[in-house]
Amino acid sequence: MLAPRLKIIVAEDSELQRLYLCSLINGLGYQAIEAEDGEVALDLVTSTDASIVISDLNMPKLDGIGLTQKIRELDLGYYVHVFMVTGADENETRVEALRAGADDFITKGSSTEMLKARIRTATRLINHAAELAERTRILKEANERIQEDLRAAAAAQRQLLPNLQDDMMGFGIASVFVPSAIVSGDMFGCFALNDTQLGFYAVDVSGHGVHASLLSVSIGHLITPDYVRTHAFDPAGRPDPAAMVATLNKRFSASENDDYFTMFCGVIDTATGHMDYCQAGYPSAFYVDQAGVTSPVGDGGFPVGMISTAFYENKSHHFETGAALIICSDAAAEAGNLLGEPFGDTRVREIAQSFPKIGIDKIPTELVHALNTWRDGAPLEDDLTVVALERKYQ
Amino acid sequence: MIHTTFYDPNITVVRPGVERLTAINAKAFKEDVADLINGGATQLIIDFRDVAFLDSSGLGALVGVLKKIGHRGDLVVSGLNSDVQQMFRICRMDRVFKVYSDVDTAVQTMAETQ
Repeated sequence: MLAPRLKIIVAEDSELQRLYLCSLINGLGYQAIEAEDGEVALDLVTSTDASIVISDLNMPKLDGIGLTQKIRELDLGYYVHVFMVTGADENETRVEALRAGADDFITKGSSTEMLKARIRTATRLINHAAELAERTRILKEANERIQEDLRAAAAAQRQLLPNLQDDMMGFGIASVFVPSAIVSGDMFGCFALNDTQLGFYAVDVSGHGVHASLLSVSIGHLITPDYVRTHAFDPAGRPDPAAMVATLNKRFSASENDDYFTMFCGVIDTATGHMDYCQAGYPSAFYVDQAGVTSPVGDGGFPVGMISTAFYENKSHHFETGAALIICSDAAAEAGNLLGEPFGDTRVREIAQSFPKIGIDKIPTELVHALNTWRDGAPLEDDLTVVALERKYQ
Repeated sequence: MIHTTFYDPNITVVRPGVERLTAINAKAFKEDVADLINGGATQLIIDFRDVAFLDSSGLGALVGVLKKIGHRGDLVVSGLNSDVQQMFRICRMDRVFKVYSDVDTAVQTMAETQ
């Protein structure tokens, strides 16, 4: 298919001059469009897709300089090249025309060759701009597609998270999940394992963004209630969360890359309040009793998928009625303020401590609020997860 | 980005050259240190004196270079601030890396044990 001829508006009040210029331009393979004054030319600029205007200086209604100014005020989405036809010695007028936004001059009575050369220069620029615009359009389209995919991935990831509206086996549960990008490298779950036991876990994949989220989502799919029932109990049926973590470590240490994740998981006997847990590099949780006495739960453990020979320990804690466990990813303590000062464990602990006053439901949002204030509204650099469990009754 | 200083016998001290070793620069750090190891360095000290913060990706890169050196040599760390020390403790990295309070102690101990 032949490329459409480039349109050139010729604004000239002298009919003879206009016809002469138009026939020259048509002869060069362009499509000349006639305008007998500046106003007609301006209308044509908006109604055609002409990207070159050759304008006389003096015209009725709207002169060449006025026309140029009006063209520059338009928002066409592409650039219009304006040539002003002037006399050879009209230097001051030329300066004025340049200030108004003219690009180049055609000297009255100059040769056809000169006109041809000047239009070709403009054409080169126009083609270049069109190429750039096309590239931008393609990039924008690709970007929109990626964003759309990411939003779909984020929605799929959120669907994996438990719906923790209602109490579960005598436990009140509240949570927040704040990805630093659209998708998150965090994951958590909380579910009934049988009539008396509640299982929970929180996972934080190293790094963040798409790469980390791929792993966190696969972990979310892997750790089902069935998986916990099968892997987090010893042959005698006693809770053994460390065994499950060791199994995960074996599975995820196989890859050659530096990916790993940290984890905090446990099994709670809802009848007795006995909790068996395993901490694998995830920050220590906080246990808060009804009087607000707060103590860290756990003193560390190897991350998962980092060292194939790592060993994991079971620890236990008694969960009193009316007490709470606050599990929070390292994004909270590591969040820096404007001076780079981290929010720190102490501040996280203080918020955990406020549980008897504000109630379990408000703990996660209170922490998000405090972090937001700490960072002066700047989004977090790492994915945040807060899971708060309260043993409400036996 | 890393700065290296060489000590006899064959000890290389690496300073990451960033205040925060994070997801943004962890890969470059790992590649730079891997180049040193490929170039024959076997006794490495990573000095964190000027590093204020290390995130999970930074830690991953550090463990990555430790794995790379494997049995070919030794890689120790020095100059951890209290926040980084706390992270090492929670992740049990204090059982994976030999940790020295400062680079001089690390150089001296490494020279004596060779």
